[in-house]
Amino acid sequence: MSNLVSNPQKTGKKMNTPRANRRKTIRKKIGLYSVLLLFTIISIFPFYWMFIGATNTSGKMFSSPPTLLPGGEFMTNLTNLNNTVGIGRVLFNSALVSGLYVVLALAVCTMAAYALAKFEFKGNKIIFLVFLLSMMIPYQATLIPLFQLMARFNLLNTYFALIAPMLSYPFAIFLMRQNFLAFPKALLESARLDGASEFRVFLQIVLPSMKPALAATAIFLFMMQWNNFMWPLIAIQSQDMYTFPVALSSLMGFSYVDYGQVMVGVTIATVPIIVFFLVLQKHFISGMLGSAIK
Amino acid sequence: MNKQKYFPYLFLAPALILFALFTVYPIIASLILSFQRMEQGEYVFVGLANYARLFNDSIFTSALTNTFIIFIFQVPIMIFLALILATALNNQLLKLKGFFRVSFFLPAVTSLVAYSILFSIMLQDEGLFNNILNMVGLSSIPWLSDPFWAKFSIIMAMTWRWTGYNMVIFLAALQNLSTDVYEAADIDGAGKIRQFFYITIPQLKPVILFVAILSTIGTLQLFDEPFNLTGGGPGNSTMTLGLYIYESGFEYFDFGYASAIAYTVVVLVAILAFVQFKLTEEKK
Amino acid sequence: MKKTFKIMAGIIGATMILAACGNGSDSTGSGSDNKLTAWAWNVNVPVLELAAEKFAEENPDFELEVVEMGTSDVYSRLTTGLQAGGQGLPDIVLVEDDRVQGYLNSFPGSFMNLSEKGFEEHSSDFPSYKLDLLTVDGDVYGFPFDGGPTGVFYRTDFFEEAGVDADAIETWDDLIEAGKVIKEDVGVDLIGLDLHGDDGLYRMMLNQQGTFYFDDEGEINITSEESKRAMEVNKRLHEEGLVRNTVGWDAWVGSMVEGRVAIAPSGAWLYGSITQQGPDTAGNWGVMQLPTFEEGGNRASNLGGSNYVIPSATDNEDLAYEFMEFFATTDEVQLEAMEGGLFPSLNTIYGHELFTQEDEFFSNQAIWTLFADEMDDIPGVNYTGNFAIAQDESIKAQSAITNGKDIEEALEEANRQVENRIGN
Repeated sequence: MSNLVSNPQKTGKKMNTPRANRRKTIRKKIGLYSVLLLFTIISIFPFYWMFIGATNTSGKMFSSPPTLLPGGEFMTNLTNLNNTVGIGRVLFNSALVSGLYVVLALAVCTMAAYALAKFEFKGNKIIFLVFLLSMMIPYQATLIPLFQLMARFNLLNTYFALIAPMLSYPFAIFLMRQNFLAFPKALLESARLDGASEFRVFLQIVLPSMKPALAATAIFLFMMQWNNFMWPLIAIQSQDMYTFPVALSSLMGFSYVDYGQVMVGVTIATVPIIVFFLVLQKHFISGMLGSAIK
Repeated sequence: MNKQKYFPYLFLAPALILFALFTVYPIIASLILSFQRMEQGEYVFVGLANYARLFNDSIFTSALTNTFIIFIFQVPIMIFLALILATALNNQLLKLKGFFRVSFFLPAVTSLVAYSILFSIMLQDEGLFNNILNMVGLSSIPWLSDPFWAKFSIIMAMTWRWTGYNMVIFLAALQNLSTDVYEAADIDGAGKIRQFFYITIPQLKPVILFVAILSTIGTLQLFDEPFNLTGGGPGNSTMTLGLYIYESGFEYFDFGYASAIAYTVVVLVAILAFVQFKLTEEKK
Repeated sequence: MKKTFKIMAGIIGATMILAACGNGSDSTGSGSDNKLTAWAWNVNVPVLELAAEKFAEENPDFELEVVEMGTSDVYSRLTTGLQAGGQGLPDIVLVEDDRVQGYLNSFPGSFMNLSEKGFEEHSSDFPSYKLDLLTVDGDVYGFPFDGGPTGVFYRTDFFEEAGVDADAIETWDDLIEAGKVIKEDVGVDLIGLDLHGDDGLYRMMLNQQGTFYFDDEGEINITSEESKRAMEVNKRLHEEGLVRNTVGWDAWVGSMVEGRVAIAPSGAWLYGSITQQGPDTAGNWGVMQLPTFEEGGNRASNLGGSNYVIPSATDNEDLAYEFMEFFATTDEVQLEAMEGGLFPSLNTIYGHELFTQEDEFFSNQAIWTLFADEMDDIPGVNYTGNFAIAQDESIKAQSAITNGKDIEEALEEANRQVENRIGN
């Protein structure tokens, strides 16, 4: 906020001929806005096109010159999609899996991060390093052992199998740890001297100030779980457990794909992430900050 | 104070147990697999044979080269673009900030299905990209069928997808920078471009490092773009390590070899991350 | 401290509950004695469902759960399950022709041996090329389902406009000449190809000449005369400027339904894609057989098609076999497949009126008769378990040739590469 105040002064100091300067500012502004607008168009175009695809018949996706206007097939495509995959069930699965995952993973990772950031104990550094190193392993390599593990415990095709493997997520622990590091140690000490239990200190003194970091991590975790494809694909065994990415992929046959349906599905699947981002984005920005600045 | 001793272990316990079970176990299992090979449907121990094979595998060499070419160009370009956009959005007088922020972030959340179909259509010989080129009097470019342009297309697509994501991270960091330095620079008459290079970038170094390491991990495991846009071709010109791991396992059923490639990648990422870390530290 | 435990207990409890809810494992193998699970992709699902309905007429409480998934998803999951020693596999899986030998060879003992169950009694009901494909060491391991008898799908309106008579095209040379005329008069490319990413046309030409990447003994054979001739056709099409470069499946289909190309040599299943993606082009299509390399040569070939296999891990061996036997050999069921544009390989149905009738979309041509007549002439070829590697290298060779490399050199290089990769 302090920046807002400082700016008028800034321009004031350089001013020599006010009119020329204003013209220059206006020209600069137009330049800035046109560049930003260009980038906006580039960023948004695929979304617009997705919507075009959702409202047209399948073949229209490939016409040239490209179809750029919405058609009237949205309801037909929606009905078809619902008949093939059952949108309600898929939405329910995706929301349940992603929602539960975010809450649980946030709890697990936050606790671990707090311990790593604010306590000195044997193994602290090594544990953190191992977490970091594990991020570097390509997921394709570990799919099959994980699958075998789940199969051995008869857990395939359960929500548990979809949620559990990534609950302890190194990136989230990393992100939260960096944020905890910034928390003043003196505050912790004084609370302890007042006789608060460690758990109370964590819950009532540290956590409330971590809302931005939690929001940032939540968005990240939600995005990842909502779009997760490869693991759910092999862990799910029956159609009533399908999540969005898996259900959409099930439309991809060998010789025939109804892209109208696919695009409706993609559109529906994208909305929740955008909403999630919109709601939490302000926190997201200051939360990422904490981690990055260290 | 005795409590404090085991408190951190208690807090770490859930994460550690889950991590050991669902991450460490599969990692060890696949590491063991990297010393094995399937013969007649049975896995047999072959020592370092899978790793030795890497040295004579021209596809692996191509994958390694391509991945590094993409890494060397894509990561800096993307970080630079993201920094510029973030700086622009950090302009206090800018209106519609929220709108731009969300727009730029959108590509990162696009469904992979929509994204890959769209790009492959736009990059066809007579697709949208060439239409535009022709309109301004340039000749068409073989976006997906020429070794050079295929790599270019992949770098372009990746940049489209991740620039906004990284911009958001930079934007966050920028908002926390003190404005005093900029004001002083203004008074000294330093232009915006000089300010960008001499104030913004040095101040953001830790954040840039953070983004660079994340992007390094992402790029060395690169899979989505080559898989969906070029299939690794033409020739091996867009074969990447991530794609080769997948193909070795799921196309050629050689999971032992796939694991060996994967662990080679791990070592490479670790080295690169270390180098990046050292590079940024030194200049302080 | 107590609270800490409470929270942790809460988290652990929640995870436990999660483990308990969901659907458990009822679809791994079988739940009840009379239930089967199948994996298949879109157009195949209704066929399975109809078969289950008919089958249930004699087996009252029979139940079939079809899990619909994308084609490549079937392979990801099948591969994972096989790697994990058969865990999590269904009772029935659909596998394409190009893939089936890879699975049968790489995972010996993982699929049911149908010969032991007496499937041989139906041998005469299927074309020999299909049975060859499913045979390992003299035993059959899969139920033949749809085939991909090839044809050149062509735009009758473009041919007419250019004054080209499709019936007069006999050799690939004729086709190339016709392509030049069409390009001149109509202004469209003859054919859409992805010369850097797919080798479908090359494979059709190999199969047509009775050979493949490998010879009958399973020896790598990419440098054969047949292979050179096929690459020569590719090269000439490219050099004469008759190829529209279409990268990926979607662009290829797009080029056809948008009228950017005049022909599309492919398997019969292309019928489904053309009619569904390009309804506006109805009445403007025809089909002819592949041209030959010399006059009077074989014009029958195959591209694509699929088969059902039963993983040995099934708990319901007998039921799975009985049901699939019923599925594969019941006329009514196989006729249903044609609804989705699939071409059944069961030859007892070829006399049905669905095959003899004229198709409006295809300018009232009796295209199904054309395909059905082809089935017995399709040469059986050896895919081997190394198909995927050989295809990868052949595509690279094709790409190099397109970029100007000498055919012989490129094929020899591919030959060496395949040998290396298999040897390792």
